[in-house]
Amino acid sequence: MQRRSTRRVLAASAATLTALSVAACGSSDDNGGGGSGDGDSLLIGTSDKVTTIDPAGSYDNGSFAVMNQVYPFLMNTPLGSPDVEPDIAESAEFTSPTEYTVVLKDGLTFANGNELTASDVVFTFERMVAINDPNGPASLLYNMDSVEATDDTTVVFTLKTADDQIFPQILSSPAGPIVDEDVFSADALTSDDDIVAGNAFAGPYVITDYELNTLVSYTANPDYQGLLGAPKTENVDVTYYADASNLKLDIEQGNIDVAFRSLSATDIDDLRGNDDVEVVDGPGGEIRYIVFNFDTQPFGATTAEADPAKALAVRQAVADLIDRQEIADQVYRGTYTPLYSYVPDGLTGAATPLQDMYGDGEGGPDADAAAQALQAAGVQTPVQLSLQYSNDHYGPSSGDEYALIKDQLEATGLFEVDLQTTEWTQYSEDRTADVYPAYQLGWFPDYSDADNYLTPFFLQENFLGNHYDNQQVNDLILQQASTPDADERTELIEQIQDLVAQDLSTVPYLQGAQVAVVRTGVEGVSDTLDASFKFRYGALSAG
Amino acid sequence: MTTATQDPAPPAVPADAPAARRRRGGGLGSYLLVRALLIIPTVFILVTAVFFLMRTTGDPITASLGGRLPADQLAERIREAGYDRPLLVQYLDYLGGLLRGDFGTTSTDRRPVTEVLTTYGAATLELAVYGLLVAFVIGIPLGMVAAKVRDRYPDAILRVFAILCYATPVFFAGLLLKLVFSVWLDWLPVAGRISTRGQIQLNRNGAGTGIFLIDAISTGDGDLVVEVLRYAVLPSIALGLLTAGVFLRLVRTNMIGTLGAGYVEAARSRGVSESRLVRKHAYRPALIPIITVIGLQVALVLSGAVLTETTFEWRGLGFQLGQYLQARDFVAVQGIVALLAVIVALTNFVVDVVAALIDPRVRY
Amino acid sequence: MATAAPTPVRRRTWRSLPVVHQLRQSVGLQRGMLVAGLTITGVFVLTAVFAPLLAPYGYGQLRDADGTFGAQQSPSAEHWLGTTVGGYDVLSRVLYGTRTALFVIVVAILLSIVAGVLLGLVSGYLGGWLDRVLVVVADAVYAFPSLLLAIVAAIVISGGQSSLVGGVLAAAISITVVFIPQYFRVVRAETVRIKSEAFVESARVVGTSTWRIMTRHVLRNATRSLPLIVTLNASEAILTLAGLGFLGFGIQPTAAAEWGFDLNRSISDVTSGIWWTSIFPGSAIVLTVLGLTLVGESLNDLADPRLRARRRAADAPPPADVAVTPGGGLAAGTEGVLP
Repeated sequence: MQRRSTRRVLAASAATLTALSVAACGSSDDNGGGGSGDGDSLLIGTSDKVTTIDPAGSYDNGSFAVMNQVYPFLMNTPLGSPDVEPDIAESAEFTSPTEYTVVLKDGLTFANGNELTASDVVFTFERMVAINDPNGPASLLYNMDSVEATDDTTVVFTLKTADDQIFPQILSSPAGPIVDEDVFSADALTSDDDIVAGNAFAGPYVITDYELNTLVSYTANPDYQGLLGAPKTENVDVTYYADASNLKLDIEQGNIDVAFRSLSATDIDDLRGNDDVEVVDGPGGEIRYIVFNFDTQPFGATTAEADPAKALAVRQAVADLIDRQEIADQVYRGTYTPLYSYVPDGLTGAATPLQDMYGDGEGGPDADAAAQALQAAGVQTPVQLSLQYSNDHYGPSSGDEYALIKDQLEATGLFEVDLQTTEWTQYSEDRTADVYPAYQLGWFPDYSDADNYLTPFFLQENFLGNHYDNQQVNDLILQQASTPDADERTELIEQIQDLVAQDLSTVPYLQGAQVAVVRTGVEGVSDTLDASFKFRYGALSAG
Repeated sequence: MTTATQDPAPPAVPADAPAARRRRGGGLGSYLLVRALLIIPTVFILVTAVFFLMRTTGDPITASLGGRLPADQLAERIREAGYDRPLLVQYLDYLGGLLRGDFGTTSTDRRPVTEVLTTYGAATLELAVYGLLVAFVIGIPLGMVAAKVRDRYPDAILRVFAILCYATPVFFAGLLLKLVFSVWLDWLPVAGRISTRGQIQLNRNGAGTGIFLIDAISTGDGDLVVEVLRYAVLPSIALGLLTAGVFLRLVRTNMIGTLGAGYVEAARSRGVSESRLVRKHAYRPALIPIITVIGLQVALVLSGAVLTETTFEWRGLGFQLGQYLQARDFVAVQGIVALLAVIVALTNFVVDVVAALIDPRVRY
Repeated sequence: MATAAPTPVRRRTWRSLPVVHQLRQSVGLQRGMLVAGLTITGVFVLTAVFAPLLAPYGYGQLRDADGTFGAQQSPSAEHWLGTTVGGYDVLSRVLYGTRTALFVIVVAILLSIVAGVLLGLVSGYLGGWLDRVLVVVADAVYAFPSLLLAIVAAIVISGGQSSLVGGVLAAAISITVVFIPQYFRVVRAETVRIKSEAFVESARVVGTSTWRIMTRHVLRNATRSLPLIVTLNASEAILTLAGLGFLGFGIQPTAAAEWGFDLNRSISDVTSGIWWTSIFPGSAIVLTVLGLTLVGESLNDLADPRLRARRRAADAPPPADVAVTPGGGLAAGTEGVLP
């Protein structure tokens, strides 16, 4: 009797477990409805995060990725190039030094049927400036004085400084998506639900279903007449992941067709050996660099033993000792590549001054050169260097990255590194408050122009706030921004990089590649993995 | 506090419990009333603590744009968003909103906090119910078995199993479950609550409850129901095992207690069979404390849910709380914490009521 | 009175020390479980103490004379358990991880005992509104998910610095906050009971310091149930530390070895077939908590006459009305609810 009762209890639990596993295996072969094979639709997975799809309210990669699919721009980058061309505009040019005139194509409409006229364009930019949302990109319109519609298809931007070569790029940046004045509010952000319900889209795609940070479902917009052309795939669904390892498992198992941003280096390395998927690399705009605070670094201006020559020698020694290839290989498995300048590879004006000036001259480290630099300046070794990094902002590998840098600097006995980390918000406050002598930062460009890697960093009033001040560099940066001749401008940009490389305001060391993983058969990814750093779903096809 | 020794000598607490009850006097009704009213200050204290603690950890603007903007622009934006106002002003502002029933709007994704709470609360509720079901199914029968075979080897094995259940961090268990059932066997989805297509189907079906099983059933699509269940299996097991260990132990302890109780001994001496003893005499009384403990497990389940939801990307309160914490979204964190505090306080209250109804000796 | 730290007076031999007493009292499987638990815990403590001698490399060591170790190297003669994604030696980090864990346990237990015992004595002795308020607050805090407190505490306490001390204190203090109510409960119940005993009354009449008598007797009786809570406190501390590390609020690898952090970093290894980076730190957590919990549960069983394997006449009244379930759950008074 006793045994039977026990058995019954066990049987009950077994039955329930069976029920669970029946549910488990019930439809294991269809893999939950994802997967390739359907020529007209694609399922894309991403670990991006969206703030809002209102252009006035977000200034981050995840939100901008959505905007690139559904909003038109006046200027945009064609597939395969970092340089901008008119998108829904017929023409765009300087009609006077401070007047930039854009003429729209005829007969443009939003997907909801509203006409897209010059009035919408004016509304878009005035709205962005008026709202000036704390999380928004309005600050990119720093050079725009006013915007005016002279007729239904002509818009004139009046600029503060003349011949601004950057402005066309700005029109392709997060400040540039054109919105519908009948759907968006003029003085407040419009909610995502209202935008989707109002179908206020005029880009290559429209959004049909939207669930914040869970899914976005796109359908091709037949009315789009812009630069990018008609999408190759009619329906694209994007599903959002918080954990990159889940994204990796789903692409591996064929539950999604494309995984873009951001798989871990280990995952990518593993997927390269998988025949069912293809790992596609493209140039990346993301860079990593060490910033030196010219006041508080060893021998900096406000330290007890202030000595500019010795301070420079310390920076040079760091530049000599960092083994970029080792970091790229060991920590990032080739998903990052060594960076030897300020403007990364792939952009017009990219150069490699740090490779020539420091290390062994071929990109590798050189302990002797470092020792010599320090000795020549009369610096006592080992140098005490306090180095900070953020463990939660630039991905989980930052800890490994900086542990390795510390190790590389110390291995020669020239440095003693005090490595510390601080969570991001505190870090952001501290770094501009001169708390950190040397620290990690990363950068992702707002627009694909070399200027975006120079102006924010090396003008006298810059976002680093590291007290770097070189009048010549300052003047050259301002000069290149208003030099219309492309070759002349490129030359100036290279000259600026040489000068900064001598001063070493920062030591750049890594450039991130854009890596997309697709199921075999999905085509067109390499077309959109270009130096515009905009991932266009319209370029993809299920083959 | 040094006056402790100068005892003003109130009527000393009598030695025996019944007398104590008389002294505390107020009766069941007023005891419960006091307990109910105390929920308010409890929640208030927690919300206040979180408000001020979060303010010391940075602001959402710096969290999102600290790596992009010069210091002065950053300060300008912080000023615009009102985060530079005196803390007390911000606090009173927030409290004022709360009194009007306005929990605020999240600063990162600009959603009303009430919407966040209902959307993700439903997901957490769903997972918690599944988890408790698993815990029941595994914990209670095994606990009964363990009690019957007490102090023999099967008992030891079951008890070590129970300990392993809560000694294994949810995320480690989750990792292993994923590895086995999703990667090697490919039976179950890796993460999430539903596939993308399923989600679209649910969305098109119109406003749902947020509890996907109910929503899926209301579409009338059997495949969708199965799919929702498949996604729920691994998270439910991971969370359920954690609680199952606790249940197993409690059922075992209480069964042993009741099996040794006087009236069971009496029944035994009357010749009632051992299995009937278990079923009829020991089982029910042993379950009463379990029922009250379920309420108290809410805290454990919620703690576990943060990790379980994060591991399996189950977009519930725990998952979102982690995201909002990273982004320093004060408003959202406060709202979620307040809700969790209310849930915990309410369940504790209900447990107290149940316990008091069952046994009048229980008083504080 | 907060400064009058009570010193428990024991006139008992080592045989009646808490754990030793129970060990002698236990038989059969129950003894087996207790011994197993004590062994695992002992190994854990010894490993922590001798970690520098046992570990082949430092916890933050990336290279030796032959150059860097390399990341994700599979187990070999040089690295018995392989290397992590960051290029650290897994074995060394697992061994050093015991130190961090032990550190957290000790700090958490010390803090919660001191605060919990003091509050319990005060609350139970004074009674009145203070007592009621403290009981309610204790209930509220205890019921609140400890990990949530820990995350907020981690950000606040460490000021964002992911150093060893900051990380350890964050975990320890948040655990403390959650565990104070448990000690509080036990001590308070004991205090209330003893306060009304005749000898206290008479002591008061004679004019002896009631406070001293109270602390002495309360603590003596409380030592019966405290070991159980201490072990649960310890396992909870480890799980919370690991949880923090896993969620990314933990200690950085160059500051200390921490299992939760290593597990977090190994997530993508698991899905890529690199098993050695997750299994070992994960198992270390499970084993340690298992050992501690085995001790705790055995002590609990032995303290409860109904659960003790061989019945013996209890030589003392059953411990104060507590029953604690591991993992943060609470079963206060539930066993007393039985009809």
